[in-house]
Amino acid sequence: MLSFTLRRVLSAVLVLFAISIAVFLIFFATPGVDPAARIAGRSASPATLAHVRAAFGLNRPIFIRYLLMMDHLFIKRDLTSYVNVGLKVVPQVLKAAPVTLALVSGAAVIWLVVGVLGGIVAAANRGKFIDPLVMFIGIAAVSVPAYWLGEVVNLITQSRLHSSLFWWVPSGGYVPFTQNPWQWALHLLFPWLTLAALYAGIYARVLRAELVNAMNEDYVRTARAKGLSERRILMKHALRCSLVSIVSLFGLDFGALIGGAALLTEVVFGLQGVGMLTYTSLQNLDLPVIMACVLYGSFFVVLANAVVDILYAFLDPRVRVA
Amino acid sequence: MLKFKSTRKLGVVTSALALTLTGLAGFSASPAGASSYQKAHAGGTLTLLASTAGGTLDPQVNYTLQYWQLYQATYDGLVTFQKVNGPASFTVVPDLATSLPKITNGGKTYTFTLRKGVKFSNGQTVTVNDVKASFIRLFKVSNPNSGSWYNAITGGDACVATPATCTLSGLVVNAATNTVTFNLAKVDPEFIDQLAVPFAAILPAGTPTKDEGSTPVPGTGAYTFQSYNPNSSLVMVRNPYFKVWNAKAQPQGYPNKIVENFGSTVESEVTAVENGQADWVFDPLPADRLGEISTKYASQLQVHQLTADWYVPMNTNIAPFNNLKARQAVNYAINKNNIVKLYGGSRLANTTCTILPKGFPGHTSFCGYTKGGGSKYNGPDIAKAKALVAASGTKGAVVKLVATNDAVNASVAQYIVSVLNQIGYKASVVLQSANIQFNYIQNTNNKVQISLTQWFQDYPAASDFINILLGCSTFHPGSDNSINIAGFCNSGVDAQIKAAETLSITNPTAANVKWGQIDKNLMTNFAPWVPLINPKLTDFVSSRVGNYKFSLEFYMYVDQLWVK
Amino acid sequence: MGEVVPSAVDNTTAAIAPATARGPESPWRSSLRQLRRNKASMAALGVLIFVTLICLCAPLYANDWAHVNAFSSNISGRIFLNGHWRSVIQANSSGYGESPIGPTWHISNYFLGADSQGRDVFARLLYGGRDSLLIGTASALICVFFATISGLAAGYFGGVIDWIVSRLLDITWAFPVYLLAISLSVILVTSGFSVGPIHVQAGSLLLPIIIIALIYVPYVARPLRGIVMTLKEREFIQAAIGSGASDWRILRKEILPNVAPSIIVFFPLMVAFNMLTESALSFLGVGVQPPNASWGTIINDGLELLYTRPWVAMAPGLMIVITAGALNLLGDGFRDAFDPKAKLRGSI
Repeated sequence: MLSFTLRRVLSAVLVLFAISIAVFLIFFATPGVDPAARIAGRSASPATLAHVRAAFGLNRPIFIRYLLMMDHLFIKRDLTSYVNVGLKVVPQVLKAAPVTLALVSGAAVIWLVVGVLGGIVAAANRGKFIDPLVMFIGIAAVSVPAYWLGEVVNLITQSRLHSSLFWWVPSGGYVPFTQNPWQWALHLLFPWLTLAALYAGIYARVLRAELVNAMNEDYVRTARAKGLSERRILMKHALRCSLVSIVSLFGLDFGALIGGAALLTEVVFGLQGVGMLTYTSLQNLDLPVIMACVLYGSFFVVLANAVVDILYAFLDPRVRVA
Repeated sequence: MLKFKSTRKLGVVTSALALTLTGLAGFSASPAGASSYQKAHAGGTLTLLASTAGGTLDPQVNYTLQYWQLYQATYDGLVTFQKVNGPASFTVVPDLATSLPKITNGGKTYTFTLRKGVKFSNGQTVTVNDVKASFIRLFKVSNPNSGSWYNAITGGDACVATPATCTLSGLVVNAATNTVTFNLAKVDPEFIDQLAVPFAAILPAGTPTKDEGSTPVPGTGAYTFQSYNPNSSLVMVRNPYFKVWNAKAQPQGYPNKIVENFGSTVESEVTAVENGQADWVFDPLPADRLGEISTKYASQLQVHQLTADWYVPMNTNIAPFNNLKARQAVNYAINKNNIVKLYGGSRLANTTCTILPKGFPGHTSFCGYTKGGGSKYNGPDIAKAKALVAASGTKGAVVKLVATNDAVNASVAQYIVSVLNQIGYKASVVLQSANIQFNYIQNTNNKVQISLTQWFQDYPAASDFINILLGCSTFHPGSDNSINIAGFCNSGVDAQIKAAETLSITNPTAANVKWGQIDKNLMTNFAPWVPLINPKLTDFVSSRVGNYKFSLEFYMYVDQLWVK
Repeated sequence: MGEVVPSAVDNTTAAIAPATARGPESPWRSSLRQLRRNKASMAALGVLIFVTLICLCAPLYANDWAHVNAFSSNISGRIFLNGHWRSVIQANSSGYGESPIGPTWHISNYFLGADSQGRDVFARLLYGGRDSLLIGTASALICVFFATISGLAAGYFGGVIDWIVSRLLDITWAFPVYLLAISLSVILVTSGFSVGPIHVQAGSLLLPIIIIALIYVPYVARPLRGIVMTLKEREFIQAAIGSGASDWRILRKEILPNVAPSIIVFFPLMVAFNMLTESALSFLGVGVQPPNASWGTIINDGLELLYTRPWVAMAPGLMIVITAGALNLLGDGFRDAFDPKAKLRGSI
């Protein structure tokens, strides 16, 4: 078990390292991305440009620049943005993290509750009308582009029905919990619902499939033969086994979302989280911020993957050999 | 319309200022001048919204209109543009100097006397040493125009070459007499303007000589920056040490606090102002809200003409637009009325056929490339365009037009590409983020054939448009900063430009006539551009805001708005 | 997963059994029959075929029926509607701003109205469907192709090959998916891609196709690898290895047919997934480039008109929902018919 864990952690670190190189290479090759001119401003004379280049170390070979960036990012932790001069990158990411955390956590609660309930209801009533109905709603939720849904929600709550039904909906942005908990929740309500819609659909479908499979397993047949009611079988036996895949799925999804995968939702609703920061920095080709955001996001994905893998290995020894 | 800060480009301005120096105009007190301060309206917090921050807060580095608009309230130079409503806002008045300078030595020496008793927002008193340090700092922080404007001062070129050892010998200060003397290496008719822009703000001598980025720098204005986080907000509060010394140069402000919040989408910004949750939107208004705003919220909408160009520079050095007939064809083919429609209609933009915008010194009316000819725009002439393309031998050429990816620029670019395809090219559009595009189209290494961009005046002077954008001296092949995007360099035209600049020192009126002639010559015989429209600026303020005043130089006076 | 009888036995049974004697049916046949009986899946298939057909008819509609050009700007254009000539883009009554006309609900005359360039939205919707479906399907094919190869190689050969392939998959998997797609697109879409003899123009559809295909390879490859590894331990494979069959033969005749059901189940889901990703990339401006249309670009165009002409954004969104939904339903049907125990992580 220990050696498996160690190997898993080692490969996780290797993956992060490879990603940092990939990001650096991808962005280094962009045409028109010479930061010197943007920093120096328009109409800057060639002498000014040369000075700016030297000051930012932009005229050293790639290899050195990569090492310099890693040094500034992790060791000295004073890596500064190319676009916002003097602004430290790491504090920016740390400042944006709670917003994403708030968005994702709230949505997670909603989608877990709705998804699990939906899956149970569909499985318990399989064959009856409610089963395909729930599944159909789930499919619809899963097929909707997240940003489109967000914009439509905005259209309805801000414009069409704003004066009648939705007068209470604020116009976007984030209010910190410590500043005003009620406004915090109000501003996050529709982002939560939008983000949760997609995942609730997935989870309902996955859980239903797992439950239906589990209900056909031998041990369930035994329990049925013993005379236990369908409902009890479902809730006590099948559910317990099916939840394992839900939990592992949740671990992966939550990890990815914390890392900034909710970027479209954040952009649509104006929430300055890690996703929004990533998006802005990609648009501005602000390499230090991109690097920090991508590594931040990858870290959580890799972490979630490793944790799930280790948990599975813990539960199922056969996997450790793989 | 414009969305990102970097698309509001500042130009360099020239010499209508010669007028004010010789005392011909400008001193006449404008009727829209400093009205008395109304204490009852003072107080409250003004909330501004912008979708993105404007970059560094350092006034000697930042070159965006987004922050130059805020610097009016926080920094002062020796002179400044008059802070009044209307055309008088182009007039330069003394600010930290007691009066306009004594100009001697054939225009090569400017002598100012520094005002006594002014304090920075950190409590220090302003001295001549601060002035000297500020100008030296310009070179040390690699100010974008240190090599094109401020090197006119003797010793400036050496400072550009080695900023570390900069002493700027041409700037002499005398603490005993409280005088500041600029000795120029050559006559510069624009020097007074260059002293009036925020680059030449006087900062404390101890300010670190590097780009301060998001750390606020103390100033002498009515307000000071309290905090700045480009990913969330910017906060300005009243300068506790400020006392009014010249209300026309630096008036007292009304709000107690000014906050600019970043990060929302433009649509939600408009909604916030409509709902009274914020007071002003910096970004251009989205096209689909204009109807709603101009009807339901008409009293909160302000529209002002800008002296600015939207134009299509064509690379005169590479195919296919190194061929004059091809460039003329494009001029004939684009329907400028459609551009007006895409920008938001005739109330928000006017077509233009000239390089100098309407209302600008030197502007003359002519329209070389329209159906039937004449001096007014009369629609495109597609047949003639197609004929020219055929005659030029460039038919079927692959053309890529580079534009920014915000809504209005993208739609104008798509339209132009459609036209290029119509007249016989194989055109496509390349959309880039505003942060990259402007430098990308300047660098000849990128082989950009044609692009869409804008130019806004810095201050009213024809050479700002003509010399800067089409003169040989601003064409730097292989550099990201070569603002002569068309790559146009013609010795004959350059000679005419130099002649006009020299003439402007002694006879500005005659010089403006000459500028008009150069404009016509450029468009008729060389057609390096397609001038599209002169836009108007829309400001949408909330219902509680009052006292909206507009400077032609820096647009809305932020600190003059009252919220009570 | 449904017990699949090794193919060797299959062929002989099918060859021997005459039409009258009902021997054991080929698992493929029975799966297909089960699929046909699944009403929801058949309905979904019908919807998909319908959508594909009308989108393929886009040129027919645009040129012969509505007489519009879906790609060139038509800002000063006019249409004849209800006895009047009307401008396609009209000034607002206040004089500020100009708006394209809204839906006319006349099938051959700007049915859904115009976009901000004055183009017929419905015609663009059909053309957009072509591009979206093409990108979705092509990238799904490429994705599944590479995923099968890498999954099979890693799962079957194990050892160093497995380690390398798994690490590559891990790296791609860990790179936040949208970020990788956006990063690559930001770089490649503006300038094209040329490496050696391969030269792809900027704005070519090939770029989004390949980018989207590659980022989802781990999604399919990892489960496939798991399946192959499990299969390898089964007796019939061990027997084949023991009997001296070459790796190539084993992969082709024994492993691949047993992995095929999973691949089939993945395919419609990948198409839906890829379509959604393409629309997100086009929405962000780094997917399909103008004036080409895809449902994502039309949504992007429509967002600037959302408050006044919501149909421009709603219509392509609805098309995406319908098409992706149908693909999902079909995928469910495939799974029920071919591989009921398939663990589809996320199922989109």
